Amino acid sequence: MTCSVPIAVTGLGCLSGAGMNLDENLVTLFAGRRYPGPPIRFSTDHPVAYPVLELRDEFKLPLDEEQLVYARTGQLALAAAREALNDAGYDDESLQGKRVGVCVGTTVGCALNCDDFYRDYKDGSNPGMAIIERYLRSNPAAVIARQLKLNGPVQTVVNACSSGTDAIGLGASWLRSGACDLVISGGADELSRVTYAGFSSLMITDTGPCSPFDVSRKGLNLGEGAAIMILEPADATEKKRVRGLIRGYGSACDAHHLTAPRPDGAGLKTALNEALQTAGVTPQQISFVNAHGTGTPDNDRIEGRVLRELLPQVPFLSTKGYTGHTLGAAGAIEAVYSLACLERGEIPASIGFSEPDPEIALIPVIENTPLAGRVALSQSLAFGGNNAVLILSAGGV
Amino acid sequence: MRLAIQGIGVTGGFGAGVAALRSALQTGTLSYQDLMVEHHDGVSDTFPVCRATTEGLDRFVPKRELRRIDHFSKMSLYAAHLALEDAGLLDADLSRIGVVVATGYGPLKTTFNFLDSYLDFGYSCSSPTHFSNSVHNAAAAHVSMQLKLTAPSLTVTLFEMSVASALLSARQWLAEGRVDRVLFGAVDEYCEVLRYCRRHFFGAGEQGPMRPLDFAAQTAQVGEGAVFMVLTREAEATAYAAIDAVVLGHHPSAPVELPRAALLVAGADGHRQCSRWYEQALKDRPVVACSPYYGSFPAAAGFDLAAAALMLKDGRVYAGPQEACANLHESAPDTKVTMASLKFGAGGDYGLICLSR
Repeated sequence: MTCSVPIAVTGLGCLSGAGMNLDENLVTLFAGRRYPGPPIRFSTDHPVAYPVLELRDEFKLPLDEEQLVYARTGQLALAAAREALNDAGYDDESLQGKRVGVCVGTTVGCALNCDDFYRDYKDGSNPGMAIIERYLRSNPAAVIARQLKLNGPVQTVVNACSSGTDAIGLGASWLRSGACDLVISGGADELSRVTYAGFSSLMITDTGPCSPFDVSRKGLNLGEGAAIMILEPADATEKKRVRGLIRGYGSACDAHHLTAPRPDGAGLKTALNEALQTAGVTPQQISFVNAHGTGTPDNDRIEGRVLRELLPQVPFLSTKGYTGHTLGAAGAIEAVYSLACLERGEIPASIGFSEPDPEIALIPVIENTPLAGRVALSQSLAFGGNNAVLILSAGGV
Repeated sequence: MRLAIQGIGVTGGFGAGVAALRSALQTGTLSYQDLMVEHHDGVSDTFPVCRATTEGLDRFVPKRELRRIDHFSKMSLYAAHLALEDAGLLDADLSRIGVVVATGYGPLKTTFNFLDSYLDFGYSCSSPTHFSNSVHNAAAAHVSMQLKLTAPSLTVTLFEMSVASALLSARQWLAEGRVDRVLFGAVDEYCEVLRYCRRHFFGAGEQGPMRPLDFAAQTAQVGEGAVFMVLTREAEATAYAAIDAVVLGHHPSAPVELPRAALLVAGADGHRQCSRWYEQALKDRPVVACSPYYGSFPAAAGFDLAAAALMLKDGRVYAGPQEACANLHESAPDTKVTMASLKFGAGGDYGLICLSR
């Protein structure tokens, strides 16, 4: 495995339950606030109202009529892409003539889990095709490519909860190969009744605000959102503000269980080591880890043990307490947060943590903490046994 | 970088394995089942579907382990094992084989089974088994688990463009040396809801027979299946063909540039909405469409690729039904050299995969 050429990040965009743009997100994180509550956009007959983190403001994009018929995930992706492109100094026109790729991760955004339609179908109510047509229009990467009239490679990654991390790693790879001049990469997912029912059926949702890495953690809170990075070759950004670099990426499969991480963390270790090697950095150079940290007993135990073994002195946090678990968007949101934190030179408290778990024997940061270095690691674990890790650094080359 | 196709495994309406695909292509045998569907109003109708088999999968995976695996993942498991067997790698060291899977719709039947669990019995009775198998990467996960593949795994979805898009990343992994081989698959499944939607969209046009190059008519017939290929960067391992280029684009804004002299395997599958793009791009080019052998579904682009690779290996054109080939007379190029598979989406997006022997 050889060292990868760093890829420049020239724009960031993010919206989640912590804010409608990246600046709002950061204000929420560093103020130590979070806003979990019962779902507003859908209802169920489930006896427990598990808290979720929905977008707090009514989500209104400056969209024309055609765009409004995209499913919510596609709209979230497009909103984050527009924020990131604006941050990078691009408008729609200035993208024309460039080979622009789009690589976006999702889970809900590609699933035909339209339960209103299906209920009518089961009842024999002969539902029309409007919902299906919207689904067919709403593949998140295709939405961005179509709306911005792009002509480069397009890919929607569906690696469950590591999708956003993988999409950024793959997007960087496209640039290294010369397949495009610029890549819009990240992740997006909406909150859905279907995943709400699914995660509660797995009994890994907390009845209160989640507590990543805490000894009393009971599970995750679901969330929604999107985050996008604008990636460009580092040598093509002379006059641009470079917000950071994608230095390394690694991924590996547990090949163990559909929903549970491998007990020895072997897949995560492999992914982490690949990311370090391709970044050409040592564990000592990592200034913090933005952990997957869902708050489920299994995930945090395995992830914590791996961090204790491979990066024992490195400060770490989970931002899931602020955003909830945004599934296919999570890795992208956390990568964007990681770069923004490197820029600020500090990380927020890992909200929800109060008492250490002896099985993990590590304590995440419990207050806003200044950073000693310029390199961060952001990692994701996923259904299907996927593990994906990004290494990012502040500033340019 | 060229990719060598070292092995192919496939299951579709024609049967399972490369020999079954070759036999269908050689003999022109189509294998549609008429499924009877009873509607809520008591009226029933029949619907031709090209269904894939997983009979024989227990040769590779014990039946006990298959009990909780759905049809979508079983098709994938079967094709993946067949591909490794075809490449002579079933007993080899698989530690550096990555998995890349393309799917247009994911595990549809299990998705609706999960919805059934809470619509029928309430949210507190939602099925965790159906939920965890309803994610798009469930097939890749089962393949990795059964074969103990711990290298990177990726699942891509982009409707008709899924195969070409996923192939880009497979090639990238090999070029970067992340893996030594990629087990590359494409899979989609049939389900009743899909039939309902297609009936709404296309009406009687789905009754067949498929005439993929009759661009004025809607003649698609639904199919399903899984195809896997062992891809490697080692040229000497080429058993079928080499993939020279993968191009994705948007035909209306930048028309597709077809390789000269290559015989085209068109992904045309009787969808009128896509036909105009084929009509514009193909013009008088020699072309075959193999979709009648496996039916219409997004991942069928992977079957087009397999058919092209097989023709290159065998050094002959399997022309198929008369309605599915054009301009193959004397001007047909030497298929021992180059072919290309071309798939259009409804909006003019295209995936072009160029192959050579």
